[in-house]
Amino acid sequence: MSSNRKFLHFIDNLETMVCEALLAMFVLLLFVQVMARQLFGYSFAWTEELSTYMFIWFAYLGAVVAAKMSAHNRVTFHLQFMPKVVAKTLTAFADVLWIAFNMYFVYLSYDFVFNRMNAFWKSQTLGVPMKYIYLILPLAFTLMSVRILINLYLTVVKGEELIDPEAAEIENLKMINRYQTAVSSDDLVDTEAAKARL
Amino acid sequence: MENYVVELLFGGFFALLLLGAPISVALGGAAMGAYMALDKDPIALVQIAFTSVGSFPLMALPAFVLAGALMEAAGISKRLVDLAETLAGPITGGLGAATVLACLFFGAISGSGPATTAAVGMLMIPAMTRRGYNRAYASAVTASSGGLGIIIPPSIPMVIFGISALGMAAPPEAIEKYGEFASLSIPKLFIAGVMPGLVMASALLVMNYFISRKKGYRGLTERWSPQDVGAAARKGVWSILAPFIILGGIYTGMFTPTESAIVAIFYTLFVGLFIHRELKFKAALKALRTTTWITGRVLLILFTATAFGRLLVETRIPVLIAESMLSFTSNLYLVWTLIILFLLFVGMFMETLAAIMILTPVLLPIMYTMGADPTHVGIVVICALSIGFQTPPLGENLFVASGIGGETVERIVVKVLPFVFVSTVALFLIAFFPKLSLWLPGLLGY
Repeated sequence: MSSNRKFLHFIDNLETMVCEALLAMFVLLLFVQVMARQLFGYSFAWTEELSTYMFIWFAYLGAVVAAKMSAHNRVTFHLQFMPKVVAKTLTAFADVLWIAFNMYFVYLSYDFVFNRMNAFWKSQTLGVPMKYIYLILPLAFTLMSVRILINLYLTVVKGEELIDPEAAEIENLKMINRYQTAVSSDDLVDTEAAKARL
Repeated sequence: MENYVVELLFGGFFALLLLGAPISVALGGAAMGAYMALDKDPIALVQIAFTSVGSFPLMALPAFVLAGALMEAAGISKRLVDLAETLAGPITGGLGAATVLACLFFGAISGSGPATTAAVGMLMIPAMTRRGYNRAYASAVTASSGGLGIIIPPSIPMVIFGISALGMAAPPEAIEKYGEFASLSIPKLFIAGVMPGLVMASALLVMNYFISRKKGYRGLTERWSPQDVGAAARKGVWSILAPFIILGGIYTGMFTPTESAIVAIFYTLFVGLFIHRELKFKAALKALRTTTWITGRVLLILFTATAFGRLLVETRIPVLIAESMLSFTSNLYLVWTLIILFLLFVGMFMETLAAIMILTPVLLPIMYTMGADPTHVGIVVICALSIGFQTPPLGENLFVASGIGGETVERIVVKVLPFVFVSTVALFLIAFFPKLSLWLPGLLGY
């Protein structure tokens, strides 16, 4: 059971971990490139291309992570004047349209990668078939749809409220603030202590 | 037929937006619908998805977001705020002035408005309330100075504006009329932002001075203490060096903006781990995670906004808007006024980066036909949207300041209005006197 749960947790965080790894890698790669050029006057031919392709993968998988965290920004000003049920239904409907958009885009990009693209087209310096690099598009938009579906299930069926990371951050700040007034601190060290606690 | 596309694009966009769809989906859905209606091969969307995101300069975005998040965790921001506090010393409304100064310093290392508000507000709002400042006023000062973060370079919105604008040549009609336009680049935008940032900051300082004098907000100390300033400067020396490394590297041409952000990341890691010894592994991991979702959401908008913008340009809509505007007035000042009011309005409802990506393909060609310099246009757009951070309903800085200070957003809004007013006056100055933005880049040979 517990190993099962661990596995689920692993799967659930897979995109996030891959993204973090990709980000750390291309940042490191670019740093090595800058240092090599500035200190030794030497530049690698392949770093720019490799880092750009890692960046594309990172960006689209990052869009999946943002969908999971419901961080994609929406204009919600007008929704607060509607009855909650109406606002919720509208947003759910918009999410269904989002999935439809994604599915059509998956079809388009899949078609492009496997049927329309020149199968022998290779990247300029690394010689990797471009097909594999473009594969992120159908992959990411499929995963994104799965994440939207899961979130729809959570909000509509389970009736949960999903909080986007920015709102969560503000809630977090409020808690620090409440903690500070509670101990009626006059020292900034407490902010640090409260932050560490949270 | 052409008009039909306009209605389809904008109609689809607003309909999806009103339903509560994410901005990226509203843009992408409208573009996709237009492709189908025009019977164009939608495979172009796949190409746009790949080429719009796969650009080297764009990597400056995650790099600056990551650098900013790490600087907070490494204690670099805190030391800058401490220094600003001692510098303001005995001036009337000194702590308010210190907040503006701290945002100026911090703007030089961070590319984001809300991040600046959070980093500075975390220390300054409690400090001001302890000194008898009205809590809502303290939050309002912070929220309005936080916008400086995106005007003082480096600035993430400038990177995004630069990338959106680089792909757009001036319309041939405009070149015929005004001659070749000056070039645009991200480093040039970074230099052009310095003076306008100082103008906006001065406006805030003046307003803070008058309000503080009226309310009797006194300085922190009786007089300046060189020892305190010296001590804060010594402690903060590694923090003060950060902007010099980032901006110096770009201005001397040693690094591209992307590379300078990368160097800033490693500089921060070095200072955080070995000098301040405050950077924890968990905080660094959290910085990576934050960078992931922010980049993911911005770049999804970039892809769909590029598709949307390309359709607009192909159907010559910006030129049509410009022509109808010109038939109404050819007075550049009047056009700037209209555009500024429009930008302030958009800034109230839409997130900054999304607004830049959507509006640049429309605004820039219009301003080209008016003969405006593209760098100047970028600076005005960014200054106008920076005011959007402090105006409800979507003023991110207001919410951050309210979260930190514990005052309700409504009360902060009342106190923020004078600052919005002076910022708007400063914005008009910046728009009407292009020299303010273009003098420094010209001096440095850009």
